[in-house]
Amino acid sequence: MNDGLVKILDGNTFVVSDDRGDIEASLTDPTGLFSYDTRFLSKWILTIDDQRLNALSVDDLQYFETRFFLVPGMGTVYVDAKLSVIRQRAVANGFHEVLTILNHDEKPVKLRVRIEAACDFADLFEVKDALKKKGRYTRKAERGTLRLGYERKTYKRSTLITSTKRAKVDENGLSFEVKLPAHGKWRTELNVVVEIPGFGELESQERVRRRTMESNLERWVAGAPRIECDWEPLKRTYRRSLVDLAALRFAPPVTGGHSLPAAGLPWFMTMFGRDSIFTSLQALPFTPELAATTLLALGEWQGTRLDDFRDEDPGRILHELRYGELTAFEERPHSPYYGNADATPLYVVLLDEYERWTGDRKLVRDLEFEARAALNWIDEYADLQGNGYVWYRRRNEETGLENQCWKDSWDSISYRDGRLPGFPRATAELQGYAYDAKLRGARLARTVWKDHDFAGELERQAADLKRRFNRDFWVDDAGYFALALDLEGKQVDALASNNGHLLWSGIVDKSKAKSVVRHLMGPRLFSGWGVRTLAEGEARFNPIGYHVGTVWPFDNSFIAWGLRRYGFKDEAAAIAAGILDAAEFFDGRLPEAFGGYQREQTKYPVQYPTACSPQAWSTGTPLLLLRTMLGLEPLGDHLVVDPALPAEIGHLELLDIPGRWGRVDAFGRGRVDVRGPR
Amino acid sequence: MTDTAGELFERLGEAGHMPLMKQTSGTMLFELLGGRRIERWRVIVKRGQVSVARGNGPADCVLRADRKLFTRMAAGRVNAFAAVLRGEVTVEGDPRLLVLFQRLLPGPRS
Repeated sequence: MNDGLVKILDGNTFVVSDDRGDIEASLTDPTGLFSYDTRFLSKWILTIDDQRLNALSVDDLQYFETRFFLVPGMGTVYVDAKLSVIRQRAVANGFHEVLTILNHDEKPVKLRVRIEAACDFADLFEVKDALKKKGRYTRKAERGTLRLGYERKTYKRSTLITSTKRAKVDENGLSFEVKLPAHGKWRTELNVVVEIPGFGELESQERVRRRTMESNLERWVAGAPRIECDWEPLKRTYRRSLVDLAALRFAPPVTGGHSLPAAGLPWFMTMFGRDSIFTSLQALPFTPELAATTLLALGEWQGTRLDDFRDEDPGRILHELRYGELTAFEERPHSPYYGNADATPLYVVLLDEYERWTGDRKLVRDLEFEARAALNWIDEYADLQGNGYVWYRRRNEETGLENQCWKDSWDSISYRDGRLPGFPRATAELQGYAYDAKLRGARLARTVWKDHDFAGELERQAADLKRRFNRDFWVDDAGYFALALDLEGKQVDALASNNGHLLWSGIVDKSKAKSVVRHLMGPRLFSGWGVRTLAEGEARFNPIGYHVGTVWPFDNSFIAWGLRRYGFKDEAAAIAAGILDAAEFFDGRLPEAFGGYQREQTKYPVQYPTACSPQAWSTGTPLLLLRTMLGLEPLGDHLVVDPALPAEIGHLELLDIPGRWGRVDAFGRGRVDVRGPR
Repeated sequence: MTDTAGELFERLGEAGHMPLMKQTSGTMLFELLGGRRIERWRVIVKRGQVSVARGNGPADCVLRADRKLFTRMAAGRVNAFAAVLRGEVTVEGDPRLLVLFQRLLPGPRS
C-alpha cells in the first residue's frame, strides 16, 4: 500500500503492520492489532539471533490474510539468503500467524527466534487524539502463554498469546531455540486472541465467521452483476469496489450475524448511520442485502428517549457506535452517539429505494414502526426553530458534534465572506432529504401500510416544504441554493456541492434546475475530476480543505444521480468520467477525498493527506456511477435502462442485475463527449 | 417488596405488546446481585409480546449486575450499553437482546 503499511481486516478487527509484519506503535500511530475500537497489540517484533528481518515481498492473499517473505539482515543491498522466513497472518478473533523458517544451507543451524510483544490497550480515540491512560497494566507469563492485560475498575481487556511449538515465555515475549537441519524447515503457529470479558458470545460468532470467510468472498463477488467493458480500468475498478466492500462489511455482535458496511479503515470500522445508509444506497443495484441489514441494524438502535449527552431523541437514527474505553466510561458519547441530522430522513429514503428495487414488502411492513418514528422525528425533534425546516444544534456541548451534516468539520458551513453562522443551522441538503423522505414515506404508507390519510398528509407537508425551500434558500442574485439558513433565517450564501444533493432529492423547482446545473458544472465547482465541496472564490475555499474545496467521490456519485433525475444525462456522464478517471490513478480504489485543484493543473488527482482508505462510500461510488451512466431505474416490476456513457468507455454490459424483476442485463455504448464545453 | 428494579419488571410485564421488539424472540435472565441473595427475573419476548417471570429458568442471554446499579439503569440514570462496555453489567449469550432491552428503559430526562 502507498503508505508502506500492510492492513488486513475482518469486521471490526484489523491489523496494521510494516512490510515485515512487525508492529511498533507509538501512542499516536495507528499501527497494531485493533478490535472493538481498542488496540490489543502495540508491539509485535520478530528477531532471529537478535536481528530484525528484511522484507522481500508482501503477498496480499485476501483482505483478511497476508504473507510476508523475509530474510535476516538489514540495511544492506545484499542479504544473507541462507534463511527464508515466511509469516502468514490471518485476522480471526485477534490474529493467527504461521511462522515458517527455511534453512537453505547444507549445514544445520541453531537459531534464537524471538517475538517481542506488548500492548498499550489504547482506545482508537486516544490514538487519534493522543490521550493518556487511567488504568493499570498486567503481564502474566505462565504455562507457555503470555497474557497482556489492562484494568480500570470493572473494565478489563486482555490479549492472550500462545504458540503451538513450545516457547520460553517471559513477560515481554516468546523465545524459541530452533535447531534446523540442512535444508530443514521449522514452523510454529502463533495465536493472538482478543479478550473482552462479559460481552457475550464474541468468540464463537467470530469462529463461525472465520470458517466461512473465504467462500463468502467468492460468493459475494459471484453474486454481484458481471461487467463487460471495452475500457479495462472500469473492470478493475469494479472488481476492486466489490472486494473492498466485502472487506468493509462487518457483523457487529448486535446484528445477529448479518453484515452491513462499516465506514472505513482504519478509524471507522464501526456502524455509522450516515455512511452505512449512503453506501447501501450506492450498492443497491449490486448487493441489495446490504441495505436490508443496514435498515434492520439501524432500526434496532433507533433512539427512544431524550438523552442530551448522546444527543438522542425518539426516532433518531444513530450517528456512530463505539466499544472502546472512553465510550465505556462516558468520556465520549458513542454508546451510541446520535448527533446527526441526516441519517433519520435518509433511513426512510433507503427503505423506499430498497423496496423499489427488491419488492421486499415484508421488510417495509416489519419496519413500519421505525419508519414512522423517523418521519415523526423530522417534525417533532428536528424543527428546532418551529418553522418547518430541519435544524441541528448539539445538546452535548463538550464532546458532541457541531456540524451534524455530512460536512461535519468545524468550518464547513460558511457565508461567502468566510464568516461562520451561529447555531442552530439548517443546511440545505437536510431539507432535500426531509422532502424526499416525506414523499417516499407517503408511497410506502399508501402501497404497503395502507394508511392513505398519513400518505396524503406527508404529501401535503412535502409540497409545502418544497415551496418554502425554493423561496427561502434560493440566492436570487446568483441562481443557486444557499448552503444553509442561519438562526435568524438569513441565507448562509456560499456556493457548495450541496446543490447537487438537492437535485438528487428532487426538491429543486424544475425552473431552477438549469441554473443549478450551470453552477455545478461551471469552473468554480467542477475541477475536471469532479465537483468540489466548496466553490473556488469563496473566502474559505482551499483545494485541500477537508470540506471546503476537496472533491469527494461519494458526493459526486449522488450529484450524478441528481443530474440524471433532472434529465442532465451528459453532465452526469461527465462527472462519472472524471471520477472514474481519477480512480485509475488509485488502482481502482477511490480515496475518501482528493484535492480540488484544476485537472489541467496537476494532471493527476492529489490524495487528501489523512484520508481513510478503503472508505465505504468511496468504494460504493463506482457502483452508483455505473447505475447513473446506464440510467438504471426501477419502474414497477421492470428495470428501465437509459444509457448515457462517456465516449471513452466504449461498450458496457452489466449482466444479471438483481431486483424484483429477477435478473436482467443492461447494455450501453459510450456516445457522450465529456471533454466538450458544458 | 417493590423497588425500582421490581417496578420496571412489573411495568414491562403489564405492557404486553411492544412494537419496539416485534422482530424479537428470546428470553433474558437478569441476575441482580447484592446483599445475601440473588434476585432473578426473566423477560420473555415472543415477537414483541413481552412477559415477565420471577425466578430462574432457561435463557438465551444472562445479564448480571449489581442490584443498585440495575436500579439506576431502570430509572434511566445509567446507560446500559456503556455499563456493559465497562464490565459493570456482564452478558452471557446473545448480546443483541441487551441492545433491544435497553430501548425499553427510560432516558435520563424522564
